[in-house]
Amino acid sequence: MLQKKICMVGAFATGKTSLVARFVTSIFSEQYQTTVGVKIDKKTVNIEGKELNLILWDLHGEDEFQKLRMSYLRGSSGYLLVVDGTRHNTFDKALELQARVENTLGKIPFILVMNKFDLTEEWEIDVNDINQIKAKGWIVINTSAKSGMGVEEVFQTIAKKMLEG
Amino acid sequence: MNEYSRDQISKESPNNHNGGISNDDLNELRSLLFGVEPQKLNKIYERLDNPDINAEDISRLLPEAVVRSSMEDKLLGEAMVPAVEEAIQTSVKQDMNVLSEAIFPILAPAIRKAVSTALEAAIQSLNQTLEHSLSPQSFKWRLEAVQTGKSFAEVALLRSLVYRIEQIFLIHRETGLVMQHLVGAMVTAQDPALVSAMLTAIQDFVKDSFNVASDETLETLHFGELTIWIEQGPKAVLAGVIRGNAPQELRSVFQDALEKIHLKFIREIHAFSGDTEPFAASKSYLEPCLQTRYQEQEKKNYAYFWVALGIAGIAFGIWSFFTIRDRMLWRAYVEQLNHQPGIVVINSGRRDGKYFISGMRDPLATDPTTLLKPGHVNPKAVKSNWKSYLSFEPELTVKRAEQLLQPPTTVTLKVDDKGILYATGSAPQKWISEARKLARFIPGVTQFNDENLFNSELQALESYKQQIEAENIFFREGSTELVSGEEAKLQNLVKTLEKLFSSAKSLQKNVMLQIAGHTDNDGTEQINMPLSQARAQAILNYINSQGIQTANFRTIGVGTNKPLRLGSTSEEKKMNRRVSFKVFLTDSKK
Repeated sequence: MLQKKICMVGAFATGKTSLVARFVTSIFSEQYQTTVGVKIDKKTVNIEGKELNLILWDLHGEDEFQKLRMSYLRGSSGYLLVVDGTRHNTFDKALELQARVENTLGKIPFILVMNKFDLTEEWEIDVNDINQIKAKGWIVINTSAKSGMGVEEVFQTIAKKMLEG
Repeated sequence: MNEYSRDQISKESPNNHNGGISNDDLNELRSLLFGVEPQKLNKIYERLDNPDINAEDISRLLPEAVVRSSMEDKLLGEAMVPAVEEAIQTSVKQDMNVLSEAIFPILAPAIRKAVSTALEAAIQSLNQTLEHSLSPQSFKWRLEAVQTGKSFAEVALLRSLVYRIEQIFLIHRETGLVMQHLVGAMVTAQDPALVSAMLTAIQDFVKDSFNVASDETLETLHFGELTIWIEQGPKAVLAGVIRGNAPQELRSVFQDALEKIHLKFIREIHAFSGDTEPFAASKSYLEPCLQTRYQEQEKKNYAYFWVALGIAGIAFGIWSFFTIRDRMLWRAYVEQLNHQPGIVVINSGRRDGKYFISGMRDPLATDPTTLLKPGHVNPKAVKSNWKSYLSFEPELTVKRAEQLLQPPTTVTLKVDDKGILYATGSAPQKWISEARKLARFIPGVTQFNDENLFNSELQALESYKQQIEAENIFFREGSTELVSGEEAKLQNLVKTLEKLFSSAKSLQKNVMLQIAGHTDNDGTEQINMPLSQARAQAILNYINSQGIQTANFRTIGVGTNKPLRLGSTSEEKKMNRRVSFKVFLTDSKK
């Protein structure tokens, strides 16, 4: 059996845990519970007829009080940079984190996940910003852990990317 | 080395053709520089260049090198594993029979051993369960089993454990991904991928949180009854989940397994990208880590127990012996009673520690209590209840007849199956008459038969008659005087006469006695006839003098007419001088 480690990275309260919960158990909860340290889940996906175990490391969100522990990222085959589309600062934080992660792990597959896309009226991320990012060759996917939109796509995409190496 | 060989050096030397230096000069220069004879140097080059010579040298050194390496460590063995495996695979592909024949002798014993080991494990598990199934502790464990939802056997095994390695994780150190996972029997395991990742996360968390040196690692985790040992290797981590208290020596088993895996799978570990398939073979290295040890049963001193048990056993044996003996004696007694005429046993047995017997008994039958002592049955231990009845069994009927008829000792009574009472022997007429009258009233007697019963008085009468008639009283020659000693005979004769009269009287018979006088043949008949008469009279007189009624007595003198002997000798003549007797018995008229 093939298995890959994926880390969920992003600012606090961007919906990393919700995305994992939606992907693994198809459940969404409005109640916010901050992640302490790391939470690990597993989901088996089928990529082009090949079974793949995704070991999902849901890392605590970074804020001014708590820095992301880079040691958790060690050995990851890919990571998801999660942004709360209703909070622009989480976008900035994602960019900052990406630089740090790449500095630690080198160039490995990642996706910029624009979460909470169900809250479009509160959306703070400008399309231009996204286009600029895309222009850098990044993969950007809009998601909603609440509705489930884009969640499956995100994990399928990262899994494929990882398998492509 | 070739480029440094003598020839090549010679060829490659820029001065070879241009400098005017001869080969000899060069050789001399070489010997000065290296201190080696050129010829020797040439030989060394030759040996190095010649692959055949190399192989020959290596073949000489190889066995010793292998032995030395094996003595120092196991690295050579480990290193040879891939080559040997490949060789075996090639051999199997080429001709399977070669290897089959080679391993056949060890295959069967190996299978037997494997089966035996599996059975031992099963028996041990069963033993553990059985040993604890009835102890007081078992109730506590049963409660625990109900509360935790585990089976009783599982709880019993867990509680009697010293330690058990429940799970072994081989974790890729860099990614935290599980490469191999082994679970012990009857162990419920969580997803190994998650556990493995979490263990790695904990490790990272501790390292980050407490600023420990990079070479320091978390070695042990404790969670209640569980302990997790973590052995760090350069590229892989081995984690063992232990229930109970494992000895520290077990860590060396972990380390050994980890070292072997590093040696064997170092390429695979380096190239690990999440695929666990290449590590399937690592299972055999990890299996020795899955150890279990149960509490050994204390060897208690059971001396007192065994002594007590022995005494109890002996006591039981003795008790059993006497009980069985008593019962056998009792059965024999009951059997004997059943065979007794006039006794019918209806019920017998043992109740309240005593034997009881009940039935019917003819009063004339044997008293059952008299058979107790000869049968070695304690009379105090027997309760009897007999109801009287009349038995028509011949033995009892005879007894009853004897009791009623009071037969004289000369009479034998016997009853046959038809109830006919036979009386044999002799008895007085009076008894016989009585018996004929009473016999019909005896229960069980249907008929009285006295065909073989004789009148004893008649016999006595006949006997007396014969005694008297056999008697001769002898006289002196030509005289009525008795020969000396004849008086005593006369006295006996008188007594016999008295008995004769008595018997005759009871038989209602009249007695008439004829007394005949005899003489010898000396003298004339005129003299002998009166003499013989006188001799008969003399005897009659004597009898009369003894108080015997002689009214029916008659005397006759026969002279020489009826001599006892011929009378040719004096002795015969003496025998003829006598008196003889003749008794006549007639029925008296009523």
